This record gives sequence, C-alpha cells and structure tokens, in this order.
Amino acid sequence: MGTMSPRSAAGIGMVVAAGFVLAACSGGSTPEPGSTGAASEGTTTSAITFWDPYPQREAGSDWDKLVASCAPAGSTLTRSSAPQTDLFNQLTTAVKEGNAPDVVLLDNPMMPEAASSGLLATAEQAGIDTTGIDANLIGPGVVDGVAYGVPMGSNALGLYYNKDVLTAAGVDPTSIKDWASLNAAIEKVVATGAKGITFSGIAGEEGVFQFEPWFWGAGADLSDVGSAAAISAGQLVSDWIGKGWAPRSAATDNQSASWDLFLTGEYGFAENGSWFASAAADNKTFAAGMIAIPAKDSAVAPVPTGGEFAVAPLQSKDASNHYANAAAVIACLTGDAHGNATSEALGYLSAKAGVRATQVADNPLWTPWVDIVQGAQGRTTDLGADYVNASAALSEAIQGALNAAGDSSGVESAFKDASGS
Amino acid sequence: MTRSWWKSPLALVLTAAMLFPVYWMVNVSFTRRASIRKSQLLPFDFTTEHYQVVLSQQLPYLGTSMVVGLGTVLLTLVIAAPAAYGLAKLPVPGGRVLSFALIVGQMIPAVVMSLGFYAIYNRIGMLDTIPGLILADSTIAVPFAVMLFTAFMRGIPNELIEAATLDGATHWRTFTSVVLPISRNSAITVALFAFLWAWSDFLFASTLDREGGSMRPVTMGIYNYIGAQNQEWGPMMATAVVASVPTALLLILAQKYVAAGVTAGAVKD
Amino acid sequence: MTVTRPEAALSQATPGRTEARPPEAERPRRSRSPRWAAVAFVAPLVVYLLVFYAYPLVQNVAMSLQRYDRGSFVNGGAPFVGLDIYREVIGQPKFWRIVGQTGTFTLISITVQYVVGLALAVFFQHSFRLSATLRAMFLVPWLLPVIVSGTTWQWMMNPDNGALNSLLGVFGVDPVWWLNADHALMSVIIANIWLGIPFNLVILYSGLQNIPTTLYEAAAIDGAGPWRRFWSITVPLLRPVSLITLLLGLVYTLKVVDIIWIMTMGTGTSQTLATWSYAMAFGKGTSSLIKYSEASAVGSVLLVVALAFGLVYVAVQRKQED
Repeated sequence: MGTMSPRSAAGIGMVVAAGFVLAACSGGSTPEPGSTGAASEGTTTSAITFWDPYPQREAGSDWDKLVASCAPAGSTLTRSSAPQTDLFNQLTTAVKEGNAPDVVLLDNPMMPEAASSGLLATAEQAGIDTTGIDANLIGPGVVDGVAYGVPMGSNALGLYYNKDVLTAAGVDPTSIKDWASLNAAIEKVVATGAKGITFSGIAGEEGVFQFEPWFWGAGADLSDVGSAAAISAGQLVSDWIGKGWAPRSAATDNQSASWDLFLTGEYGFAENGSWFASAAADNKTFAAGMIAIPAKDSAVAPVPTGGEFAVAPLQSKDASNHYANAAAVIACLTGDAHGNATSEALGYLSAKAGVRATQVADNPLWTPWVDIVQGAQGRTTDLGADYVNASAALSEAIQGALNAAGDSSGVESAFKDASGS
Repeated sequence: MTRSWWKSPLALVLTAAMLFPVYWMVNVSFTRRASIRKSQLLPFDFTTEHYQVVLSQQLPYLGTSMVVGLGTVLLTLVIAAPAAYGLAKLPVPGGRVLSFALIVGQMIPAVVMSLGFYAIYNRIGMLDTIPGLILADSTIAVPFAVMLFTAFMRGIPNELIEAATLDGATHWRTFTSVVLPISRNSAITVALFAFLWAWSDFLFASTLDREGGSMRPVTMGIYNYIGAQNQEWGPMMATAVVASVPTALLLILAQKYVAAGVTAGAVKD
Repeated sequence: MTVTRPEAALSQATPGRTEARPPEAERPRRSRSPRWAAVAFVAPLVVYLLVFYAYPLVQNVAMSLQRYDRGSFVNGGAPFVGLDIYREVIGQPKFWRIVGQTGTFTLISITVQYVVGLALAVFFQHSFRLSATLRAMFLVPWLLPVIVSGTTWQWMMNPDNGALNSLLGVFGVDPVWWLNADHALMSVIIANIWLGIPFNLVILYSGLQNIPTTLYEAAAIDGAGPWRRFWSITVPLLRPVSLITLLLGLVYTLKVVDIIWIMTMGTGTSQTLATWSYAMAFGKGTSSLIKYSEASAVGSVLLVVALAFGLVYVAVQRKQED
C-alpha cells in the first residue's frame, strides 16, 4: 500500500465534509419535544395512531375491534404493533423526530426509564384518569411522585400443574406450602418417570421476571443481588437443572417455549403467567390446574406485577390535540364502562378492585389469580430507573446459576460476581 | 458424464444433509402445538391448521416481499454494474478511496443506518412506502455488488475491451454490448444476494415500514405470531415454508435460465 | 459445453461491432476522455454513497464521542467526552475476552465456510444429472427468516431431546449441552457455518464458471490428474474471486448478530463484538439499559478491524497485479 496520494486524501476529506454538512442539517431541524400542551386545551383529530406490543392480536381480533371502537366520533384509529423492546425503541426514535403516536402501551418496567428520558406526557397533561387503580399496580407508572399512565390491567405468575401427572405420582397440589414441600412433590413426580418443572431462565428481563417470585420468596431484595437469600433462590432453580428435574434448555427458553414444553404433557409443573390461564382451561390433552408460587417458608410468594401501561408520548407539535386523542382513547379502554371488555380481550385481570370483582364473578377462571395479583409487587416501585441495573445483574446471576447445574460454589460465585461484591 | 455417475447420488446426500434443518422446520410446521417440543423425527401429531392460518393471513406480505426483493435487485444492478466497470477497467480518480469507502460502508451498523433513514424519510414523507424500503434495502447489497462485480470484471481480458474500443464503440457501448454479456454470471450472483437480503431484512422493515399494514414484507408478517409472552411456532414455521417455496422455484428457474443463456452465448455463429 | 469463454464472448461481440460502427467524429472525443468516462461510470455510486452512508458514518463516530442515554438521544444535550467511551469500553475486563471470541467465531466460520464452499463448487463445476436443481437447493437456507432457522437450530441443539444429540448418540457420543455458557460459541459457529456455505458456494461456483474449460482439457491431454489440475489451474485462476469471497465473508461474519442472538442472546462464550454492540444499541439481552455511545464505540472498533483487512486485501491484490 504505498503512501496515500494527495488526491485520495482530498477525496476522503470531501466525503467527511459532506457527511458533516448532512449531519448538521438534520441536527438543526430536529423538532424538540416540549412539555407544553394539555388534553383539556385540545380537540380530537381525524387520524389517531395507536401502538401496542401485541402483534399476535391481528386485524379483526377482539382486541383490534375493541381498540377501533374506542376512536372518538369523527376519528379513524390506526393500530400497529411490535414486540415490547422494539416498540420502546421505535417510540424513542419517533419522539425524537416529532412523529410520535397518540397512544402507546408500554411494558410496566419500562415506565421509569421512559418517563425520566422525557418520552412521556404526564397523566394530568394527557387527561388520563388514574383513580381507583390498586396501589401496587399503579406503582411502576409513578415516577418521582408523578403518574405517567394507567395500567391496562394486570397479569401475574402462577404455578401450573398437570393433574394427570400429579395424580399418577400421588401428589396433592394443595400440600405445597413452601419450597421444601414443592421439592418433595417434584421428586415424587420425577420418580414416576415424568419430568419435573418448566420455567423460563432466558437472559434479560423475561427470565428475571420469572425468577423474582423465588427471589422475593426467599426474602431477597433487589438492592442486594449478592445476598445469602438471593443465592438460596438461585440454588433452588440451579438444583432443578442439576437433578434433571427441569430442562437444561431453561437457560435459553422464553416463557412461550417453556409453556410449549409443559404442553407436551411430560412435565408435572410449570411456572407461567395468567395469560395462559384460558389456554390451560381449554387444554385437551391433559387437565391443568394452578396454585400460587410458594415462598421459601410460606404458601404465597410475592410475584412481579405484569402488564402494560397506556401512555401518551410527549408531542412537539399540536400537542394538546394529540393529548386530547390520547385522553379519549385511554378513557374508553380503561374506564369502568369498557374495563371488563378490555381485560377479557387481553386476558388480564382488571387493575381496579371493583371491576375485578365483576370480572371474577363473570369468569371463575380468574378466581385463583385474584390473591396473587393483589399481593404482587411492582418491579420498579422501589428502585425506579435503577431497576434496569439490578435486573441486568440478576440476569447475569441467573444465567450463571443455571449453567452451574446445582454446583453450590458456582451458584454463589455467579451471584457474587453479578452483584460486584 | 459417464464416469461421474456417482455424482448425482452424492449430491443428493449432501443436499439432504444441508437441508436437514429445513426438514426439521417443515416437520414442526405440520405438528400440533402440544407436540412441537417433543422433538419427534416425523410429525406424528399431524395437523394442517398452521397452513390454513398462514394462507389466510400471509399472502399479501409475500407479495410485498416479492416486489421489494425485485425492486432492490434492479436498483442494485443499475448502480453497481457501471460503477464496478469503471473501477475495474477505467482510470477512476480516487478509485482506491472508493474501494475503502465500500468496505467501511458495509461495516456501518444497520441500526445507525436505519436511524438515518428514519430521520430523512420522516421529513420527506417516505415512511411506510415500498420505494422507501427498496432504497433502504439496496444499501445492504450495493457495496457487496460493486466489490463482487469489480473482482469479476478485472478478470475480463483487456484485449476484448480494446478491440471494441478500436472499433469505435463508446465506453457505454463497450459496457453494454461486451462487458455486461460476459458478466452475466456475476450479475446473477449479485441479483441473487440482493434479492435474498431484501427478502430477509427485518431491521429496515420494522423501522421504516412499521405502519405499512399489509404492504409490509413477510418478515414483519411473521411477527403476527410473536406476542409479548407467547409465540406460535407452528404458523411461523409454516410461513417460512410457504414463503420459501415460490422463491426456491424462482431460484431454480433462474439457475436454469442462466445455464441456458450461457450455453446460447457460447455457440459460435 | 456450458461455460462462458472469453473467446466465445468475443465472437459474439463481433457482429455487433461491424453493424453498429459509430461515426468517425466520435472517436477523438472518446479517446481524449477515458478519465471523464470513468467518472461518469462511478458518479451514481459516489452520489449514492454520499447520500446514504456519509451521514450514518459520521453519526456513528459522533455518537461514540458523546455520552448519550435515552433522554439525551431524544432531547439533545449529550456531553462531548472525547475518547472516554473508547477507554471505558476497552478497559472493561470482558473486552478482550469478547475480542477473542469474535476472532474465534470469525476465523473458524470463514475458514470452514470457504473450504466447504470451494469443495462443493468444484464438485458442482461440471454439470451432471440434477446438478442445477440441487445447487439451487443449497440456497434454501437463505430463504428462511433467520428467526425461524435460528430457532430450529436451537431446538435441534436441545441438550435433553434435540435431534443433534440423538444423531451423536447413534455414534455412541454422549449428549452435549450445546447452548450452555461453555459450548455456546461452538454451537453458534456450527449454525453460522451452515448459514454461510451457500454464500461461498454461489460466489466460488460463479468464479469457476469463468475459468475456460479449454485449460482443463489441455492439462488433461498433458496427463495432469484431477488433483494436479485443481492446484495448478483452479487455485491460481480463482484467486481474485477467492480473495473477495474471503474479504466479504470476513466483513459479514464480523457483523453477524441475528443467528447468535436467536440461539443464545450472546450469553456465555457466544458474545461477540457485534452482538455486544447490538445489545447495547437496542437495550436487549441481560441489560435493558440502552447504551448508544458504547454501542457506537464497539461498532467503530469493528469498522477499524474491517478496514485493516481491507488494506491487506488491497495489498495482496496489488502484489498480484504486479
């Protein structure tokens, strides 16, 4: 490669200069989102955009129809979907470019970061009614004392079981009152030749979500991932892998994959969410039941609250009108009149005690879930935007613990390394 | 020909080994959800319901993917072929810088590219349009295409081009009537990859065409089966099968056409 | 005879030049301006590159010099920190481990892909019954969305009941826990090689088609065996195409994200610079915190690596021309 000719150097210079010009142009004209505007000062517009994380609820589904029906008179609502993390990133870009939708449904642990990054209008600004919501469920949407949205309902985690497998093993699910009795039950199941338990230990928030009932059930706290209690929870799931009670693929299975394993009928137990409650009730190949996830020394561990918040993204132009759109649509979806329809379309429990009571009366499927939802904890309620770091550390620890396959020194160092202690 | 009778059976075995994962996917696409994780070699829990779902939902997406793929091929060829000829056979000032720019271009993270496109498209109203997606997808293929064409065109004997030039053909004429016909093989290779990249792109589609409704490519359509906590692998695998059949046929036909074209070109007059 | 030969192409071009001889007046202008013609040929490309690549490239570098989080990305005001981000990224204990894994992933992937691709290309070089169809079938893996093929590999590599372990069991090999932290790199390399073979096959095959068959025929008459013909004709004449295949293979392997991500999310030994950058740019993986600046810095490191190999490529190419 000899030395670079002057001409080449000039060429590079030109390319770089042109790039800067381009960058400068676009930098200058980026509209800045503002904090002005209020729903009460605006009027609804003819076109409303609505984003949700439910790509699987295609056009024509109950949910799609419900959302469309919530467009105010004279407005057309366009709904589009993307998986949660993608949706959050797309929202970030859209707000930056002044092209944000009117309404977004955002996963609850993302709320603190979204709010503190200046992506969201406050509930007050956007005319969103947050009264009557259970305190534990609204918690993730309140950042520094300000509410930014309203939960679309709540889902929770439970311990599903295969009645046929348990009967064959002589296990009574109501006898499971703590970790020791759970382990004894799994051992009996495995002794019959069946498999033990499926759960999702995948890297990231999803695996952390599934681990938190065991983590909190051991008495551990998110502010100390390396505590002895945390390690004992890690040891519990790690032992399941080590003893062959849980599939080794748990470290890469997401909740859907873990459910598919349970559906094979080969497993006694499955930790999974209330979103599968109706699928479990309709299951034809075996009868499925559900109990609360036990804590280390008691029958019901706190589970993390699950579900999305309806929010209004911050707008840079015609903000008041956009907020008026958001106010109308969100009020329709979460207000008492439609609350039950929304919950049923999403497969969630209502976030309001009153609506929830009607929902359970109409559909007894939800009865065992009520206590779990009422005892659930918001993931971000204590730590706020710092939750992402705790969750990342916990995710590293879980991966390490699952790979250790029961080896207690491996589990311990996984948690110690992850917490940085 | 007679001495290589063993080649066909061996090729069959090799192809089968290569396509085993594809077989596995087909296998799953015919299996009921309850059994997809049983890892059975044949779809014992047989069902065609995934295909019914897919055929009722995915056809518009497939059409869009086809249009986007072919558009990308066209755009890529139009930009890359002349440029490569220039780089390979003509004294382009700063040609070496350009070659480096192509390598650098391919290493720019796709995220950054898509953010750039989003900002531009948002201003000029090209979000959620098919031409916008074609333009974006072509950026995956153009640097590759120029580099590949250049490598191949360097191999064209200079005498051929000189002969044409001496006969008074313009550079453009030399390019269209001498260089392009010889480059058919590499053009097909470029076209193939441009098509496949556009076909499989997800990032640009999900950033630039997210509200395109049914005018979105099949990589987005497949997301209909991915929920927040629930993925329907049966329909996803069935979509992959349904999507790959027409394109596989297209590939085979293209190969045959090329083989035929090359033969025709080799016949002396 | 189904091969393009320069002679054949030349003879094909012959009739054209007799019937369409341009007027004499055009000649001097053309011979005077090869350089302008050259500029005209590459001009669309240059414009294209400037319009679509210059801004993202500058943007990428600019982002790595400022400290961005989600908030300052949206609302501006990210402080300029010079090379601090690079120091932090390179100073992390895992940086060199990830570089090593990236090297292993890239080197093994492109070597095996190239060797297998070349072997297959030579195998398919002369057509036989079904050859065109079967060769086309080799491309089918590229038609599948990676989310589907990646998941299929994940299932086949299931440590408890996956097809791959069943196959190994037939040969008496103990089941492997494919996707755990230690074996993750090996697992993703296997799947990536599978994904890369078609690319190598197609380009190398296409290169082989440009080698005149007469050379092989002449060598065969001279008594050279197939092995000898391979080393003395195929290898040297294929060198330019081999070089570009390896360079492109390197560039693409360095930036592979999807197959790794779908199989392991970059956990354990399967983390590469590209997946690390991806995870930080999107807030995916173990940490959902978005780190635009760090992601850009890692992206720039990859860029420099690719550039270095680009230099090697140009040097080798020049040596060949001399």
